[in-house]
Amino acid sequence: MKKLTLAALLGLGLVSGQALAAGWTGGDDQQTNPLACDGTPAAAAAMPYDGGAPTNPPDRKGKKITVVDVPKLIGIGYFNATSKGIADAAAELGNVDAKTDGPTKANIDEQITFLDNYITSGVDGILFAANDPVAIAPVLKKALEKGINVVGYDANSTPDARQWFVNQAQFNGIAKALVDSMAAEIGEEGGFAIVTSTFTTPNQARWIAEMSAYAEKCHPKMKWLETVEAQEDNNLSFNQATTLINKYGDELKGIFGMTSVATPASAEAVTQANKCGNIAVVGLATPNAMKPYVEKGCVKSVVLWNPVDLGYAAMQVLRSVADGTLQPGATSVKAGKLGELQVINGSEILLGAPYVFNKDNIGQFDF
Amino acid sequence: MSASASIAPPGRSAFQRFLSGYGQEIVVFLSIIFLFVVVGAINPRFLSDTNINSIFAGNAYIAVAAIGMSMIIMAGHIDVSVGALIGVIATIAGTLAVNGYPVWIAWLVPIIFSMAVNAGVGALVAYTRIPSIVVTLGMLSILKGGLISATAGAWITNMPAEFMIAQMRPFGIPSAVYFMVALTILASFFIKYTDFGRSIYAVGGNMEAARAAGINPERVVVGVFALHGFFAGVAGILFATQLQVIQSTVPPNLELTVITASVIGGVSILGGTGTVIGSTLAAILFACIGSALIFLNVSAYWLRAVLGLMILATVLADMARRRRAK
Repeated sequence: MKKLTLAALLGLGLVSGQALAAGWTGGDDQQTNPLACDGTPAAAAAMPYDGGAPTNPPDRKGKKITVVDVPKLIGIGYFNATSKGIADAAAELGNVDAKTDGPTKANIDEQITFLDNYITSGVDGILFAANDPVAIAPVLKKALEKGINVVGYDANSTPDARQWFVNQAQFNGIAKALVDSMAAEIGEEGGFAIVTSTFTTPNQARWIAEMSAYAEKCHPKMKWLETVEAQEDNNLSFNQATTLINKYGDELKGIFGMTSVATPASAEAVTQANKCGNIAVVGLATPNAMKPYVEKGCVKSVVLWNPVDLGYAAMQVLRSVADGTLQPGATSVKAGKLGELQVINGSEILLGAPYVFNKDNIGQFDF
Repeated sequence: MSASASIAPPGRSAFQRFLSGYGQEIVVFLSIIFLFVVVGAINPRFLSDTNINSIFAGNAYIAVAAIGMSMIIMAGHIDVSVGALIGVIATIAGTLAVNGYPVWIAWLVPIIFSMAVNAGVGALVAYTRIPSIVVTLGMLSILKGGLISATAGAWITNMPAEFMIAQMRPFGIPSAVYFMVALTILASFFIKYTDFGRSIYAVGGNMEAARAAGINPERVVVGVFALHGFFAGVAGILFATQLQVIQSTVPPNLELTVITASVIGGVSILGGTGTVIGSTLAAILFACIGSALIFLNVSAYWLRAVLGLMILATVLADMARRRRAK
């Protein structure tokens, strides 16, 4: 039996030899669309509406509606911020009763259970950020069939499973901001690695694919060493980043953190390895978690949109859909204090250009 | 009483007895050596002192928690709430520290809290005879839900530097490693050479036989749970002070990782046998595999598959050993 354990380990050794050749990059295999190196905005191609429609929804125009927001998970800074935006918008609109509820870990099965329960209990609208774009689709379609208005934000589902999706930033825009910031810090020939969340997290995979395409186009000599997964787990992210630093030594000049958990944990790994100034950390994160590192000068650029605005926009869009003022074929939608937001890709609404937090402006944010 | 600890029939050589008493520990230890040799040969940086430091420190808090978990399993019980408990301890400690309490209070109060909570769980298990998996499943939900409600999901940041005990490095070695090694040795001696320690095996092996031998099994179960609370408390403090941020969620499946360390370390899931050296070695092995996967460019997702295989192999080996002993 002891042999069995050893055999399992030996098997691991063999498997790793196989996987070595494959070299998973962390990206998806969909088509990429890198932006111009000089930042010329891409022309928006017109696309027909490809979202879904609720079956016989009651007339909700101007009426009080109950809305539940089910993010990927609750209890992390990022979704606390979107949830605040949703609450702000609901308070401003005055005719929405909104609450946030969801799993305490990024688990698609638990998320589906939450959605199912709220559909059964009867709500007028659902806001969601999907843990998995395909697995979440059936339960969202069930909501549409019951006449519930469904709007996504942050992480999309398949388009026909919801009505609209509020896109926090286009993937190629984020990719450009990240890669340009990294190139400015480590030079055009530096080697970098990526710490991301999971294989099936749609946002992260898409960003990584676009980063790869943009780096190839505009910073061809930068060297992409490796991508590692760390879920949305603080300690695992720290351990993974530390191992990358140990593995590559001086070859590693920069680390991209792809989640609001991975970025501060990578910065912490660099700090504890005494590599501040030698290894740059650029990533997506909420400002509060990054303040210590940005203020010490260990991290220079944190890329993100404003998640409070994202939640706010999602709530505004849902209200417009329920009121019937946002119909398939529209090219823009009014979103309260954010003004007119542009419709892209058929049934998505673009929040705006990404935001780079640095030493000078990070103090103005508190989320 | 010692008969339950060593399965080997008399008449074998001392070496054979050593092998059968520590079989699983030796397998785990050799696996670690195997990984160091193979991965070190592929990429020598795997053996750099910084990487060895991170392997030993990375899972030290899991090893500490697994000491207590091993005792629980040896006594014939289980605790599936330890992951949530560690999260609660970390949050209490961090909250005390940022609110200006002296650091020793921020370290000690959560440990005492943890012992009290687990003594209560132990009393429920021992005196009401509700299976421990049911009690601790309930505890898991209470702690997890309570944590999210109490913190409203906010992270704790800006903790004072002197609070960060896991970041201290006496003689260049992370302090978490000292805790792991010292507590493992202490617990080993405690289990082997004190009456209470030996009675854990007796209660786990056969509760009624233990009672007939003059042991009060209920008191042992409460005591073991309280001790487990102590180790979980220390693990929680190490977890809280490793990074600058305490999340209001705990790492997913932390309790499973801790239980897995105990089982792979050779603690029989049926109770009555095992050592805490094995669980500590197993926690180190997990960190070792995690690091090796990166060095070999393999997805970390294989870690779970490998751990699953190892659990199955270990439980099968345990059952085979028991059958042979009969």
